[in-house]
Amino acid sequence: MAFYWYQRDPELYKAEVETMRRFFPSFKINQLPDGSGRLYWRGKVQPAGEGGMVWDLMLIYKNDHPHATGGEYGGSVQILPVQPRLKDLAEKMMPLILETYGTYDNAAAHGFGLGLPHIYRNNFGRNEEYFICTADPKYFKAGLNRSTSAASALSWACKWIILCEMWLNGEIGDDLALEGNY
Amino acid sequence: MENNNPNNIPNEEAVIARRRALAAALQRSEPVIVTPTGSVEIEGEADENGLSGIEVPAGKLA
Repeated sequence: MAFYWYQRDPELYKAEVETMRRFFPSFKINQLPDGSGRLYWRGKVQPAGEGGMVWDLMLIYKNDHPHATGGEYGGSVQILPVQPRLKDLAEKMMPLILETYGTYDNAAAHGFGLGLPHIYRNNFGRNEEYFICTADPKYFKAGLNRSTSAASALSWACKWIILCEMWLNGEIGDDLALEGNY
Repeated sequence: MENNNPNNIPNEEAVIARRRALAAALQRSEPVIVTPTGSVEIEGEADENGLSGIEVPAGKLA
């Protein structure tokens, strides 16, 4: 049995490529150069529209795509902002978070333990990086007939980005940043 | 797609106005779409402006 999802299920691979080309034609697919065999899409988005901030993103498939279990935020498509780097943004925000919530434990209890709403950390190459939590695993479809695509994950990510930008600019409060429905 | 005109005030104001409208729409859980450039648009307004894109699937932030 093939180890990689795109060998095991070429029809799914074809559908993934077609969906991305239809909805996000500027994104390009490639394979990570780390020997893991993982595929990724890379491209730029501008969720606030013309004049807004440009985000350079990688959408990285886990080798068990499509798959989602509890605690696997965003399922088997991981969204890594290359620029701006979430870890740098989060570290800049942490002093303000601590000032607002008093202690680290209290900030973590309110969902801001990493400095930004709805992010998680994971090893990537030699570094620990911060990824966007797109949707609760229960919304990530991983069935035989229907699965969440990289395009869907990217649409969730664009919505996260606009909420995050608004929150960073003080345009929305912590509640909406944390409770926004996707 | 580079944002090479960050000091363009009218453009900045337009971005802020757009964000306000989007924030209000998101607070009301209105459906939004994402265009091929990644721009998030309120579904109803996008239809009126002839914009197309992928509808963000229903779900909640993880």
